[in-house]
Formats: sequence, structure tokens, C-alpha cells
Amino acid sequence: MAVAEVATALRGQSRRRGRVRAPEIVAPAAILAVVVAACFLGPLVLPIAEPVGGNVLESYLPAFSPGHLLGTDPNGNDILSRVLHGGQSSLVVALAVNLIGLLVGGTLGALSGFVGGKTDTVIMRLLDVLIAFPSLVLTLAVAQSLGPSRTNTILALAFFSVPAFARVSRAATLRLRELPFMAAAELCGTPAWRVLARHLAPNIAPQLVTFGLLGMGIVIVIEGALSFLGLGIPAPAPSWGNMIALGQQSLSATPMLVVWPSAALFLTVLTFNVLGENLRSRWSRQ
Amino acid sequence: MAGAAAPIRRGSRAATLVTSPSLRLIGRRVLTAVPILLGVSVLSFWVLDLIPGNAAQQLLGAEATPEQVAALEQRLGLDRPAVHRYLSWLGGALTGDLGTSLSSNQPATGLLWSHLAVTGELVLLAFVFSLGLAVPVALLAAHRPNGFFDRLSMIVSIGGLSVANYVLALLLVLVFAVQLAMFPAIGFVPLGESVGENLRSLVLPAGAIAFPLFCFYTRFLRGDLVDQLQGEDYIVTARAKGIGTWQVLLRHAFRNSVFGLITVVGLNLGTLIGATVIIEQIFALPGLGQLLLQAINARDFVVVQACVVVFAVVAVLANLLADLLYAVLDPRIRYGGR
Repeated sequence: MAVAEVATALRGQSRRRGRVRAPEIVAPAAILAVVVAACFLGPLVLPIAEPVGGNVLESYLPAFSPGHLLGTDPNGNDILSRVLHGGQSSLVVALAVNLIGLLVGGTLGALSGFVGGKTDTVIMRLLDVLIAFPSLVLTLAVAQSLGPSRTNTILALAFFSVPAFARVSRAATLRLRELPFMAAAELCGTPAWRVLARHLAPNIAPQLVTFGLLGMGIVIVIEGALSFLGLGIPAPAPSWGNMIALGQQSLSATPMLVVWPSAALFLTVLTFNVLGENLRSRWSRQ
Repeated sequence: MAGAAAPIRRGSRAATLVTSPSLRLIGRRVLTAVPILLGVSVLSFWVLDLIPGNAAQQLLGAEATPEQVAALEQRLGLDRPAVHRYLSWLGGALTGDLGTSLSSNQPATGLLWSHLAVTGELVLLAFVFSLGLAVPVALLAAHRPNGFFDRLSMIVSIGGLSVANYVLALLLVLVFAVQLAMFPAIGFVPLGESVGENLRSLVLPAGAIAFPLFCFYTRFLRGDLVDQLQGEDYIVTARAKGIGTWQVLLRHAFRNSVFGLITVVGLNLGTLIGATVIIEQIFALPGLGQLLLQAINARDFVVVQACVVVFAVVAVLANLLADLLYAVLDPRIRYGGR
């Protein structure tokens, strides 16, 4: 029996050799790498026009026009260039918001769950207040208060990533606290900060990272919504949201103005979602 | 959310007054919602107080003299300290007075009421569409886990969860309003004028909100059903008794999954009313979202504040309601005194 099992396992291994180990994770990760490279390196390497300051005489050019692969928008700006530069904004905003959430919220949640008692109650009550808000509504109010800009968009969205990460991190911490190795660490006289940094953090990190990947998709969508409403990235600078808003005005005549940024948005969000989802199911199986 | 309720001291008066376990539980949950509601009002007040420069200057424009600005500040009460202003605003809010709009001089409460019905109808329709479709689809998917239909519904779900609702809305307009001309692209017909036309004007906006929700509910419900079918003793018992697959699914698994679904629906309402803001803008529906955006553009912070607070209060109350419903429906929680 045991021999047969080992044999099967070995056979499984040898059969797997030479093939991609986890295609369901490598494939979306590869697509993501292409998207990131296209957005950040594309404008530097490819011979495309600037995203702003186009000539109005060249407006509404169709796709495959010379020099404008995807055509131009009502202001004569190159659509491909705007899609790529818009992607930069979306990715930078989403990354910043999720990093703030991961670091601030993750630490807050872990501390809250680790310390427990009154501290825990107070922190979680405060975060409950933030979570109670419909995110887009408060973000709109914050964005309007601070004025539209990239930094303010990040700040406004961080209002929501912090409590969300804190909840995930606290739940993970509470689950870990019951495990024997935590008690062992404490019995050894390990100082609390060391338990947090060396024993807790590495164990809750996978959950926070997968949550962050799903969070990337959510933030990209909300950033798009803010820019769509004119409260995110301010207008001449490109973003997928304000490109869609501009295209909406001539939706029936030139639908492609909406289709290109929408497709970029969908592809990017989908990739983050698939990657996050597949990583989560892989890590929960282990 | 209020499910992780703060422990209330056993000996507190509120707890001893009521003896029925259900009522006591309801009382406890309602009490935990009060500080959250207060916190929400403080936060929305504080956020709007962050407006750079001062509100009076922005309302009057750059040419206003300092005397004019000071006069307006005094009229609006902006010269008083923030705590003072908050308390008087809260006092008004508790008696149903949310202030007077700066741009239209109408009472904010009246404006909210006149816009509430459209948003309410939109949200209700979105729930009907999404849940009405999600339940049968999830049941069919769970009937044969990893079967063709299950896989198809999973692919559709993850795709649907990745589409931004404003993109979906424009896509729906493009196909159903521009190409097929089946539904109007923008505009709203009140329910009182024509029921049919009213529904026609809301189908596309409600659909745009409902589709991602449908995907979310389908995934959730399907996952919960499959978990139960694979691991629970009562399912094994039911199957051992010779009960048919569909019966097991409907009578044994689904009835248990409903609890989780209720909580998720309650938690979603916050996101859902956030979604109405942008959808109402796209379809030019005169709802709360449109009121909020107009107020934001007009720098009418009284109305912005009123809208933000109403949105947040509705979200908190929806969570509370879901929590209570869950408690009342599930005997383990009703009598467990968790």
C-alpha cells in the first residue's frame, strides 16, 4: 500500500516534470506582467504620440490610422497612448492604496487581535464606522473636499482599504493565536514584538496578499468611477475612468472611444481577480 | 458587522428589562448600532469640514470682499467652533431637520425625500433581478458540482465580478438602447405616470447594478451549497434515507444556506447604494445619487452631508436588519445567547 502510494507520487512527479507547475497561477501572473510592462515600458519603447496636447484637426481618427494604431479621441489625442498612460495611473493608485491598507490596516488588525481586550474593542468599533460607509459615497465626499488629484484619490481610497485589511488581518490573527506554536513562543519568553514580527506576520501574510490582489481590482474599478465622475484624475491627464466619460458623450457615433479603455479595465481587473482567487484556493488547500 | 457585537454587561438595565431571548438579542444588537451611527455622523461631518480654504469664500467666488465672506459665515454659522456646529446639526438631524440647501434654499430633508423613491425602486429592482436569477442558477450549479453548467456559471461569475458597473451600463446602453432600441438610454418615467414605462426606464440601470451582484450571490450560494453537500452529516442522513437529490438540495441544503445569503445581502446594501450614484448619473435618473453629485458640484455642503449621512445610515440599518433576521430565523442563535 505504502509502496504503491510512493510509486504513484513519484510517477505523478516525473509526469509533471517539464510542465508548468501551476498554470492557473502562472498564466494570470504572466498576463499581469505583460499589462504592467505595456503600461510602464510601452510608452517609452513604442513609437507612439504623447497622451495629451493632440491636434484637434486630427480628432476622431479611426483605428489603424498612420501613427495612431487605435485612432484618436475628440481632442486629437492618441487613444493607445492614453490607454497605456491611463493604466499607469490606475496601477499606481491601486498599488499605493493597497500597500497603505496592507501596512497600516494589516498592522492595526494584527495588533488588535493580538492584544485583545479593550484595545481590540475600541479599534474594531472605530473601523466598523468606516466600514459602515458606502465606500463610493464617502470617497466622493473626501475627493471633493480635498480636490481632484492623484494623491488625493489615493488618500480618499485608503479610507477604505485600511479597515478592510484590518479585518482580514485580525481574523487571521485570532485564528493563529489558538495554535500551539504561539503559546510555545510566548513560553520561551519571546518579546511580543518578536512574536508579532517573526511568528505572526509570516503566517498572516499569504491571506493579506491574496486579499490585496482582489483589492487591486476593486480599487482600479473605484478609481475609474471617481475619474468617470470627474473627481479622480483631473481631465487632461489620461485615466481609464475619464476616457470612458469622454467617450460616453458620443457613445452611439464612436463607441470605440468607450470600448478601448473599458477593455483595458476589464482585462486588468479580471487578471487580478483570477490570480487572487487561484492563489487563495491553492494556499487554502495546503 | 454588528454580529461581532461588543459584549454588553449582563447586569445592565436594558438586558434585565427584557426577558424573551429574541427580544433581548434584538435589543443588544440595536444598542451596538447606536455608537456606529454616531461615529458615522461625526466622520461625515469631519470629512466635509476638511474642505480647503473656507466654504463661504468658495460659495461667493474670488471677488467677494472679506466683509461679505464674514457675513455669510455668520449666517451659515461657520464662525462657530466645529464641536458646537456638530451638536446643533445633530440636534436638528434627530428631529428630522438636516439644514437648508445652500444652492436652492429648500430644506435638505424635503430634497432627500423627493429623490429617495427613485433610488429605492432602483435598489429593489436590482435585488429582485440579482437574487431571482442567482438562486436558481446556484441550485442548478450545485446540483452537479464541476459539471458543465457549474463551470459555465463560474466563468460567467468571475467575468461579471470583474466588470465595472459603469462599463456594463454603457455596454447595455450601446446594445439595448442604441442598436436594438428596446429600452430608453436615459430618463425616468415616474411610477404614477405609467407603470410599464417606469419599469422600461429602470430595466437597464437596474440590470447594470444587478449583474455583478448576481455573480457574487451565485458564487456565494453555490460555494455554500457544495460545502454542505460534501461535508454535513444531515445531508448524508437525508441521502441515506433515500431522499432525491433535488429534495436534499432544496429542503436540506438550501434552507441552511439562506442564512448566509441574508447576511451577505445585508452587507452588500452599502456597496449597492454606492453603485446607484454612478448609475443614476449615467441614466439621468433623479435619485439620491444625482442629488449628491449635483450638491458636490454646487459645493452645497449641507446637502452633501445630508446625503452622505442618509447613505451611511441606510447601510448600517441594512446590516442591523440582516443581523436581526439571521438571529430570528436561526434557532441556534436565538436561544444560544451568543
